[in-house]
Amino acid sequence: MNSGSIIPVLNLLAAGAEEGHASAGPVAHGPWWVALIVVLPMLGAMLCGAAAALKVRSKLPAFLTVGLLGASCALAVSMYLELAGGRSITVSYRWIDFAWGTGEGQRLVANFGFYIDSLTCLWMLFVTGLATLIALYASEYMSHDQGVGYCRFFAAFNLFVFSMACLVMGDNLLLLYLGWEGVGLCSYLLIGYFYKRPAAVAAAKKAFIVNRIGDLALALGTMLAFVHFGSVEYAVIFAKAQPYIEAIKSGHLDQVPFVVQVIPLLFMVGAFGKSAQLPLYVWLPDAMEGPTPVSALIHAATMVTAGVYLIARTYPIFLCSEYALPVVAWVGALTALLAATIGMAQFDIKRIMAYSTVSQLGYMFAGLAFLSSAGAAYHVFTHAFFKATLFLCCGAVMHGFAGQLDLRKLSGVAFMKGWGIVGLAMLIGCLNLAGVPFTAGFFSKDMILAESFVTMGPGYQVLGWVLLLTAGLTAYYTFRVFFRVFVGPKTFEPGDELHAHDDHGHDAHGHDSRGDAHAEAEHGPAGHAAPGHGHDFHPHAPGWAINLVLLILAAASIAAALPYFMGEHGGWVPKLVHESSATTISDGHGSTAAFLASGLHEPGASAHGTLFGQDPHKIMYYVSGAIGAVGIAIAFVLHYAGRKTAGTSRADALVPALGPVAGWARRKWLVDELYDALVRTPLWVLSHVFHLIDKLLIDGLVNLFGWLPRAAAQRLRPTQGGDLHGYAAGMAVGLGAVLILVWMLIL
Amino acid sequence: MSATLLVILTLLPLAGAAVLALRPEGQARTVALWTTLLALGAAGVAMVQFRWDHGADMQGVGRLEWAPSLGLSLSVGADSVAMLLIGLTALLGPICVYASFTAIEHRRRTYYGWLLVLQSAMTGVFCARDLVLFYTCFEFTLVPMYILISLYGSTNRKKAATKFFLYTFTGSVLTLAGLLFVVWFNATQLVPTDGPGAGKWTFDIGALQHAAVRMSSGQQAWVLAAMMAGFAVKVPLFPLHTWLPLAHTEAPTAGSVILAGVLLKLGTYGMYRFVLPFVPSAVVEYAPFLAVLCIMGIVYAGLICWVQEDVKKLVAYSSVSHLGFCILGMVALNQIGLAGSVLYMVNHGLSTGALFLLIGMMYERYHTRSMREVGGLAAKMPIWATFMVFFAMASVALPGLNGFVSEFMCLMGAFQADSEFVRAGQVGATRGVLGPVYAAVAGTGIIVAAMYLLMMVGKMCFGPLREPHAHHAHESHAPPVLPPDLSAREIVILLPLAALCLVLGLYPRPVLQTLEAPTTRAVDWVWEHAGVRGAPLAPQGGRP
Repeated sequence: MNSGSIIPVLNLLAAGAEEGHASAGPVAHGPWWVALIVVLPMLGAMLCGAAAALKVRSKLPAFLTVGLLGASCALAVSMYLELAGGRSITVSYRWIDFAWGTGEGQRLVANFGFYIDSLTCLWMLFVTGLATLIALYASEYMSHDQGVGYCRFFAAFNLFVFSMACLVMGDNLLLLYLGWEGVGLCSYLLIGYFYKRPAAVAAAKKAFIVNRIGDLALALGTMLAFVHFGSVEYAVIFAKAQPYIEAIKSGHLDQVPFVVQVIPLLFMVGAFGKSAQLPLYVWLPDAMEGPTPVSALIHAATMVTAGVYLIARTYPIFLCSEYALPVVAWVGALTALLAATIGMAQFDIKRIMAYSTVSQLGYMFAGLAFLSSAGAAYHVFTHAFFKATLFLCCGAVMHGFAGQLDLRKLSGVAFMKGWGIVGLAMLIGCLNLAGVPFTAGFFSKDMILAESFVTMGPGYQVLGWVLLLTAGLTAYYTFRVFFRVFVGPKTFEPGDELHAHDDHGHDAHGHDSRGDAHAEAEHGPAGHAAPGHGHDFHPHAPGWAINLVLLILAAASIAAALPYFMGEHGGWVPKLVHESSATTISDGHGSTAAFLASGLHEPGASAHGTLFGQDPHKIMYYVSGAIGAVGIAIAFVLHYAGRKTAGTSRADALVPALGPVAGWARRKWLVDELYDALVRTPLWVLSHVFHLIDKLLIDGLVNLFGWLPRAAAQRLRPTQGGDLHGYAAGMAVGLGAVLILVWMLIL
Repeated sequence: MSATLLVILTLLPLAGAAVLALRPEGQARTVALWTTLLALGAAGVAMVQFRWDHGADMQGVGRLEWAPSLGLSLSVGADSVAMLLIGLTALLGPICVYASFTAIEHRRRTYYGWLLVLQSAMTGVFCARDLVLFYTCFEFTLVPMYILISLYGSTNRKKAATKFFLYTFTGSVLTLAGLLFVVWFNATQLVPTDGPGAGKWTFDIGALQHAAVRMSSGQQAWVLAAMMAGFAVKVPLFPLHTWLPLAHTEAPTAGSVILAGVLLKLGTYGMYRFVLPFVPSAVVEYAPFLAVLCIMGIVYAGLICWVQEDVKKLVAYSSVSHLGFCILGMVALNQIGLAGSVLYMVNHGLSTGALFLLIGMMYERYHTRSMREVGGLAAKMPIWATFMVFFAMASVALPGLNGFVSEFMCLMGAFQADSEFVRAGQVGATRGVLGPVYAAVAGTGIIVAAMYLLMMVGKMCFGPLREPHAHHAHESHAPPVLPPDLSAREIVILLPLAALCLVLGLYPRPVLQTLEAPTTRAVDWVWEHAGVRGAPLAPQGGRP
């Protein structure tokens, strides 16, 4: 093992300082074909839409999607090979362009242009790659719904990849905003895919509205960025932010205008919305109402990392602010802890995974704030693979056990016939999430954890301990799921729906079970999946597509550890990050940022903090490894050792001892209820009050004014009735007006 | 583009109405459809001939002297702003006629005849270059609309029609007074050396514009109040909006589409054409006040939408909320806000017009507008539901669709319109009396819009299918005229609107470019004549 890699960031920071700020280099014109990465998914969306219009009932849309996304992925690889390391812009066409002068800042330009640097490449590689794999998985997973619904699913799926590509590749904040809201729309459409289920519709709506709160902040931040920098294009903004960074480097924080300090605060709120952080995280757990491939791709691996991407992309501006990164740190760490505590108490395995996503996103934000943008990006990268694996395993279970997701009703799944691959993939995913040594999740999480003790910031040491505690909790709840569901005695209770979506089926042509029959034929006489529940139910094991994708993803989750050893300084991902705009600035000591220059700590006074008197980078491996082991051990004792049934375990005995706390955690600390009481209900009451005011007061005054002359007129006009009387009256008045006009003229 | 073309555009629907009156009842639909299509073709020709790169110049100018001694004449002409709205009017014409094919079964001649008259009047407003033509057409739109609502509306139509007529008419009379004051001021208070047309009776808008700015700031304030009395009712600006939900709810579908699509824009267009150029110093002084009204309207009407059960009333209230953005952009008094505002006029016409069409199609099938009685229609009407989601997203200003560009520009206009920012050296700021706080508070409207529009989509399209009990009985007795989902005719109606929403969302650049010149001219005019309040800053942003 490369011992130099233990201190990855510092060396790079020093190297970065020598070369100057990476994002300050020249911007080249990119090749035209990078636009195809965006165009191909759009084409896919249109073709799937056309397929829906033509009522295609085969798997054509799925394979079309896999093909186009695969091509897009191949282009992304080629983009990485050719363009990573440099900076280039490809303008496909001019989208918004409005000038009101010739001077600086008198022209709003937002092209459909693509800004390609290493960060873009990194994100596009895993976005397109995972999208291709998950589309293949979905081709089987959604097969019960072949027909218009199948087309609709893949159209939205393609549209999502298009939007995500715009978000990541856009060369300006407005195109990012287009992608930002576009992924929100696709998330809305896909969460609400089972649109007959009120819960799914409500969850979709909640996701969109909560995200809109963040979107507003992002929009305002964009406006402020334009007002200050005179442009919304990254290249211009970074160039103009450079003097501020230089000023901070030399300790002159006062040279950074207040406006510039506010911009990242607004961006930050947008990021909290999209990436489900406090206080806007509440939509993500509910988003699990969507089909599982959607949860895996959108709500675990890609879309929810958009907030991390936003901060990484606009890192130069964040570094200018005294307050932004510390706030991000606290929010991230507290979200990580809160979500982990909720996840420990849930029974729905998909929800547990959702809370763990929220929690892991918290780590990424904390990483960004600890000036370890490399660690954050690496965690995004590893998390994308292992969390997608975990979700797809949960999806396979849900698919096979008639929508059963309750960990008290499933046990020993991994040992059932045909479920070996699912069990193996689940184990690999869990090891990664729990941060077991030598897994990818272990290395990426440690990069962040170590940095919390290294970087000087307000309370960062405390946050480091919070995150370490959370790592233990994570190991516990992850293996709670594994020990309950995948090992132990083989028993199960099927869910109440054949496929969790049996009540769905917008085309009235009845349920199409060809896909199931196909799957069963391959995996032996697993019994017939009759719509009834109970005795004659047999789980049907996943087919080739699901197994293949799980194998690939599990392998990728393991392989994601390899980049850590590729090259110097912490590996491949940090190298990419430091070639991009997300690089940290440094004076060689590793922790010079605006909030440090502000006088909290004297820059350079201390190289970095310590943990147990040691260099955190060296000791963190052992500390976090030990904490993770403790978490897994507790899960083993409580949920595996001696467990005879699916429904009970030793943990049950502990619940009364915890008193009401366990119940509160199970009810998600009542945050949803709190928001209802504090925001939704008052707004609802206010709306009704407004409605009454409108009816009675405002319209009442109007009616009063209207009534007075009419009361008089009714005495003067004896004839009532007749369709046109009002019209006649109107004409008379109109004529009167003309007469008045003429009269005035003659005078 | 010649003046003849503008006159033809204005008079063609009127001629169609005359032909229609002479033909038998059965042919009314056909005549009306061909007339409006012809008008659309003429508008197409006009738009091709129009020189968009000279968007600020009045094109197709023509004058017909009527009574020179009184200064009476009829003159036409259009800049790019007017031309865009003429195009919108011409587009909505055939759509409204075609959308009424099955909905209107009795007294078709009257219906289509007045619809055509209405189109003439609306086009006339946008073509007018003198006050007489403008005001005549402006007022005359009331009569056909009154008849359409009171004869073809639903249960409460009489009350709605009367309220609509009296409310807007009262406001317009005050507008007339304000405009006539300017005419009087020009004729009697100025001498010929003061400028072109000064010192004599004239109704020419261009001449009056030069005269009006010479009014004292006190006079300007009164004229502003008088003009806004009419225009603000028409828009409608909070708190003068209560006629709108009633009129929309009761009007037949085509009436609602025209009301939302074009009639409301008469108010905003009036503000662009008269309020900004005529009384600049008053506008600068009262812009914050108007902006506050806009913001109150955005939030207040948006929240009212959220608790509506009547889906048509919901969309009607949403117009109040949406047009708040439009006026906010205008009173930002900078180019981006003004261009956003003009674009908003077009975009709102497309997306809200389409929403009314969709609701009308649903209403024809279920005869109810209550979201309690009908809902979950995606299961039964997937095509309808797809369009509904699409246009709701356009209305909620999703980037990539038309609403976003204009809404963002309106908010951006308000945001950067801050003279303090300019003094502080922020390069992207412009002169103005609003600022980030206005934009931030108005911006909450985009959250509220998501709340009510997704509530509507959630109830109407998604969830379990709900149909009124009477519906099945109705179906079994009468032979079904309409298929369960949209017919080909209905899809043809919606497709052009959807296509335009996409095009204006993804490629708004041509429209934005042609708006650069007229908005720059208008904004420079305002600040040049704004008096003291505009003075402290060095002139910024010359003509491109």
